[in-house]
Amino acid sequence: MNRHSFFVCESLQRVMQNASPALACTLLLCGLLMSATGCGKTPAASFRPNMVEAAKQRLTPDQEAQVATILEAMFGTPDDPVALPETGLDVSKLRLAAGPVHSDIVGRKNGLFREHCSHCHGVTGDGMGPTAAFLNPYPRDYRPGWFKFKSTERADKPTHADLVTILNNGINGTSMPSFALLGEAKVDALVEYVKYLSMRGEAELSLMRYYFELDDEDEGKLPETREFLVEEILLPVAERWQEAEDAIIDVPEMPEVDLQESIALGKELFYGNKANCVKCHGVTGLGDGQANDYDDWNKVVKQWSDEVLSAHDASTSEMSREEKAEHRAWLARSDKALAGDALDPRTIQPRNLRQAIYRGGRRPLDLYYRIHAGINGAPMPAAAGTLTPDEIWHIVNYVRSLPYEYDGELGADRSMVARDRL
Amino acid sequence: MRNMRLTSEKRSVFSCFVAHSLLAAVLLTAMTGCGQGRLAAPTPDREAAAVLRQSLSSEGGDSGEGGAAAASTGTGWGTLTGRFIFVGTPPGAKQLVVDKDMAVCTAEGRKLFDQSLQVDEASGGLANVVVFARKAGRVKEREFSAEPLVFDQKACEFLAPVFAARVGQAIDVRNSDPIGHNTNVSGTSFNQLIPAGNGTLFTPASETGMPTMVTCNIHPWMKAYAVFRKDGYVAVSSSDGSFTIPDLPAGEEIEFQVWHERSTGPNGALAAEEPELDWSSKGRFTVTLTADETTDIGSIEIQASALGG
Ligand code: HEC
Ligand code: HEC
Repeated sequence: MNRHSFFVCESLQRVMQNASPALACTLLLCGLLMSATGCGKTPAASFRPNMVEAAKQRLTPDQEAQVATILEAMFGTPDDPVALPETGLDVSKLRLAAGPVHSDIVGRKNGLFREHCSHCHGVTGDGMGPTAAFLNPYPRDYRPGWFKFKSTERADKPTHADLVTILNNGINGTSMPSFALLGEAKVDALVEYVKYLSMRGEAELSLMRYYFELDDEDEGKLPETREFLVEEILLPVAERWQEAEDAIIDVPEMPEVDLQESIALGKELFYGNKANCVKCHGVTGLGDGQANDYDDWNKVVKQWSDEVLSAHDASTSEMSREEKAEHRAWLARSDKALAGDALDPRTIQPRNLRQAIYRGGRRPLDLYYRIHAGINGAPMPAAAGTLTPDEIWHIVNYVRSLPYEYDGELGADRSMVARDRL
Repeated sequence: MRNMRLTSEKRSVFSCFVAHSLLAAVLLTAMTGCGQGRLAAPTPDREAAAVLRQSLSSEGGDSGEGGAAAASTGTGWGTLTGRFIFVGTPPGAKQLVVDKDMAVCTAEGRKLFDQSLQVDEASGGLANVVVFARKAGRVKEREFSAEPLVFDQKACEFLAPVFAARVGQAIDVRNSDPIGHNTNVSGTSFNQLIPAGNGTLFTPASETGMPTMVTCNIHPWMKAYAVFRKDGYVAVSSSDGSFTIPDLPAGEEIEFQVWHERSTGPNGALAAEEPELDWSSKGRFTVTLTADETTDIGSIEIQASALGG
């Protein structure tokens, strides 16, 4: 499978370095033979369809092909991106980021996404590049359109500036690196391309799910009209991105109280049953409270694999022979999609707050955003609505003091604190 | 010219380099290209895509036909009612694993059970089936109830395992426990901390389509479903299996969607053997109502196999 191929290649290269040229030739010949009989020449880069959703929606091959064709009409290919004006995307930026790595006529480097991002995020932005399976947390799958670290209300998209910040700072405590050295223009182009992949992924999900909504007289085919494809499928997705700039969380001033007093108030809230932070982050703040839950990306895979498992167990005795065959074919497809097009679901740990490592940024403002809106796509809930802005600020102050709190709930056991902070 | 002639040492280094970079390329192609373990992906039809793109980018292309939903001709309003009956022996409910806040959730040896299949022992009535109108040609104007609907949780269970509301109707999400919960309505913006003994208002802003899952991330065994419809034409069957949807437009064909949490149909669509109602494999049936009358579709039998045996 392709996420392993990098490593296989690398280790083979290492073997080859020590091998005689003769052996090298033999191996090479074998390889050539294998590939010649196996699959022929390298295909042009293509977007991988969301096969998990396709299997889940029980799409027929014709329906899968229709979705692929519609998406190609609306978004083009990885080498040749297209953006309808309704998306609000800037095609010249997309061209800088798209395609194979190459330099254009004036020596400007193109193919930025495949050079810097796709080995983790995948050519399709499905979070399944070749290295993805080895990383924890997994790289973001942009296709459902959920983003975590942003200045907007929980369910809103990130602003352009939010994504620029992520690319410049990276995500502390994860494998997502900083790309600040690429410079403004390239980061800007990459952000545009992330939005493009995300819109494409969301449009794909809407299209695949729409087959269920069809009436009998549609004969299992989506209408290929502008009214349906642009107004009903594309616009609702694109508008959410355009609205993000208006959805920035309003942050009032930090209340003017003594910092120690504020920390004490925040501490009370953190452990109390009004803010409930303790339930997940634990009495120690080490993130060892509620830790057997999944984030939304992993939950989708977990729930569906549970469903497929129980379908394997379900009795087929009342089915006709054809129904049984159909059922078995669907199960086989589902198993294959889960094995080849999804990463093994993993639980998510609430953050260890003793380490002072914050993925969404360490400024007090960043923490205010995180606590106000929670973390979209993750179990971490929003405190806004139940806590006042002043109370949120007190909690921010307490959270910021946690890494340096030596006599907190961990008690006088200083050495344990020291160890766990590392 | 001189540059082109390689010493033999250089040549072997060069050929080695070529060999293994080629091999790497070949292997990569073989492994990524073929992907034996993966499902075959469909190939887009290039030409069709190019033609379609043309029609999508030309403003006001072929959006002509279709326009407004089928014009509605009827007048007056009718009521739909019916009942779901479970056929077979319901399997025993699974006990849930409760490993947090046991003092509250499992006080005095209390056990929590999976609530996804609730069958009335006496009548066989199947509770928590959702029925909603897919589209209605006319929608009767009704006020939202001034008091918010209540969606409560107590002793670490949602009191309504399946909950229906109209888009725009305020819902008081309550927590009647002495411990904190968070309520997470997937597919909406709502995932909020609900302090002990407190509540917060949530007003759904858009439709859910099929019911969406509601969870508490602090207590992951807690699970419910919510369905929100713009026209409010939605009902959840009660403990005796019956449901009623009032104020529906009379004199037009209305297609209804039926859902159950355990259904093995696509997206939870519930199968039934009801040819007279045109019951489809997508769990839909069609009825035309008469003004000022209640149309009873009678008892709909649901086979155990439709709910996963
Ligand atoms: C070494 C692997 C790796 C590379 C390379 C990488 N990323 Fe990431 N990226 C990650 C991981 C892991 C996460 C998820 C972190 C998390 O969930 O906390 C992530 C998350 C993201 C997010 C989501 C942020 C959010 O708020 O949800 C964006 C956007 C992103 N990456 C863009 C990029 C772009 C653009 C590039 C290339 C310029 C890139 N990444 C390169 C690993 C990588
Ligand atoms: C339902 C469980 C849950 C509750 C309740 C909860 N959190 Fe979290 N929290 C999480 C999880 C899970 C993460 C990790 C999310 C991720 O990595 O995407 C997290 C992450 C965080 C982070 C790290 C943000 C960053 O940028 O890395 C902070 C700070 C935080 N929580 C503070 C709080 C505070 C303060 C409260 C109480 C108001 C709270 N949490 C309540 C589950 C919870």
